[in-house]
Amino acid sequence: MKQYHLLIVDDEKRFADMLAKRLTLRGCNCEVCYSGKEALDLLEGKNFALVLLDLHLPDLYGTEVLTRIKNFDASTPVIILTGHGTEKDRRECMLQGAYAFMHKPLGIDELMVILAKIAEIAA
Amino acid sequence: MMERFRKALKTIRPEFYRQKNKLLNPYYTFSDYRKIWAIGITTLATAALVPLLVVTVIHYRLIEKSVDSELVLRTERLASNARRAMTFFLEERLNALRFTVNEIRYDQLANPDHLTEVLRNLKLGFGGLTDLSVIDYTGIQVAYAGPFKLEGKNYSNQVWFIECQKGNFYVSEIFRGYRDVPHIIIAVKSFRPDGTNFILRATLETERLIQTLSSYKTGAYAEIFLVNRSGIIQTPSKYYGDTFEKISLPIPDYSQRTQAVMERDDQKRSIIMGYAFITTQIADTPFILMVIKQKAGMMAIWLKLRANIQWFVGFGILVILIVVVITCTFLVNKLYLADKAKAETMALMEQNNQLVSIGQLAAGVAHEINNPLALINETAGYVKDLFVIKELYHKDEELIESIDYILEAVERCGRITGQLLGFARKFDVKIQKVNLKDAISDVLIFHNKEAEYRNIKVNVDVPQDMPEIVTDRGKLQQILVNLVNNAFQAVVSGCILEINASLAGPDKVSITISDNGCGMPAENLPKIFEPFFTTKERDKGTGLGLAITYGLVKKLHGDISVESKENEGTTFTVTLPTRIQEVMGENEDSAG
Repeated sequence: MKQYHLLIVDDEKRFADMLAKRLTLRGCNCEVCYSGKEALDLLEGKNFALVLLDLHLPDLYGTEVLTRIKNFDASTPVIILTGHGTEKDRRECMLQGAYAFMHKPLGIDELMVILAKIAEIAA
Repeated sequence: MMERFRKALKTIRPEFYRQKNKLLNPYYTFSDYRKIWAIGITTLATAALVPLLVVTVIHYRLIEKSVDSELVLRTERLASNARRAMTFFLEERLNALRFTVNEIRYDQLANPDHLTEVLRNLKLGFGGLTDLSVIDYTGIQVAYAGPFKLEGKNYSNQVWFIECQKGNFYVSEIFRGYRDVPHIIIAVKSFRPDGTNFILRATLETERLIQTLSSYKTGAYAEIFLVNRSGIIQTPSKYYGDTFEKISLPIPDYSQRTQAVMERDDQKRSIIMGYAFITTQIADTPFILMVIKQKAGMMAIWLKLRANIQWFVGFGILVILIVVVITCTFLVNKLYLADKAKAETMALMEQNNQLVSIGQLAAGVAHEINNPLALINETAGYVKDLFVIKELYHKDEELIESIDYILEAVERCGRITGQLLGFARKFDVKIQKVNLKDAISDVLIFHNKEAEYRNIKVNVDVPQDMPEIVTDRGKLQQILVNLVNNAFQAVVSGCILEINASLAGPDKVSITISDNGCGMPAENLPKIFEPFFTTKERDKGTGLGLAITYGLVKKLHGDISVESKENEGTTFTVTLPTRIQEVMGENEDSAG
């Protein structure tokens, strides 16, 4: 499987780590960070094929992070992954250019399908 | 007959009087409608009737007073006229006697032949005289002309003789005397050249007097008669006693003028009594002229007027009361209906609020559970990955099976939280034209296989001329999917499912989904749209399907109702507006 360079942004540390491990097992190259600022810093330095972004971050709200990512590089696909998302959030995120809006808990296979699609588009 | 009357009463009686609405308890309203009704009628009727009655009574009294004073005046006038006639009658005769004694010498008068001649002339000139006699100063009658043989009679100790000696003239009251015929004596004293006096006395028939008086009588209810000053009746009276008996009325006090007063007679009849003390210029008389009018008789016009007033007032009161009652009833009924509608709305709102707050709570719980659930999911997933991908213990099927159980349970939890969130979430209304027939067939595509497999017949009946409705297609389909699912779970093999659509009014359509499956007991029906209410086995349902459906129907500004009989089947009826109004801002949700 092709090496995806992914960034997982989630303040739930164990969840982020575990998801990273599972994606790594599935051939992805994952980086993890636990706050919005960290994520933006990382994104400034590197290119990621995909960002998995939680909404409820301790410093910045997910939509704010999304806006900044999109301002910085509109082509980076971002998938919102939230346990709390409301319809309003969903609409806002989709307007800001999120690739998908997914609820926790999520099926790993479902995520893999989306990753494959993104890769297809990128290629 | 009684039954018909009761039926009529029932239709007249307003709704607020008829039934006690369970909703309109003191929790919703403070109004006691019957009390308001009664107060309203009393107040309005009082306000309308009191002035009417006051004005009527004042008017009544005024008329009565003016009629009374008119009657008194008329009676007085009549009495006055009769008095003048009476006075004239007596004066004329007294003057005739005075003329006679002055004109004719005593010795001529003492001659009975001459006296008879004089009597004849007087009868000719004035009439009403019975006899004439000359009495000398000792009281001996010296000459007599007339039908009786009375010569030589001594009158010296008789009242009239003594009175006439004192006062020169005398008018007696009416009496029977020796002859037993009612008559009046008038007497004039004169002097002879030798200085002694004599009296010329005449007896008057009362016939002429009575005739004169009765010529003034007007109408059946008036009478004119004479009494003397001690109240003995002198001329015939119809109502107040026989002649020469005491009058049954009070004797009026002396008055020079003619008077008229309101009185009550011994039989408590209202009368107007006119009276005049008769005095001539020549001599005083013992007579009182009485004019009695019975008020009841005289008041025919007034009575007629009074009857008219009473009719008019009675009719007026009736009309006012009818109008007041109708108005009050109408208004209070309006109030009642408005309050009822309000109470119903409030009850509905309470139910909605209940659903909304349950939904909010559920959403909150779902949100909080999702994060730990995600962690369990990933951890268990990772453990499984370790087994499967890293191929550690991958041969230990029991371990993998256990992990799968965890994942399955997480998935189920996820499904529940997802549904809970869906229930609470307000969806975008994406409004478009929807053909009901197409929408229903779209939904049924998912069930064709199951229907075939379970031998369930599905009948769809949508009229050809059914108009397209403007609504949110997604929600409509979700509603239909939920209800069809529900029905499929309720039926067994060989059952029939009917889906009908029809117009339910100018701007409403109704869709019914009925099955002939297991049905529901009546006590479950009220709870059926509440979240988490389920009759299915524990694993089979979350109890959210119909609650979500209810929420969706409400969002489409529709209504949903259910009818069910155990073991006979269930019918859901969804009523939707043909044209939904988009309400802006309704889709906002609080950030969770």
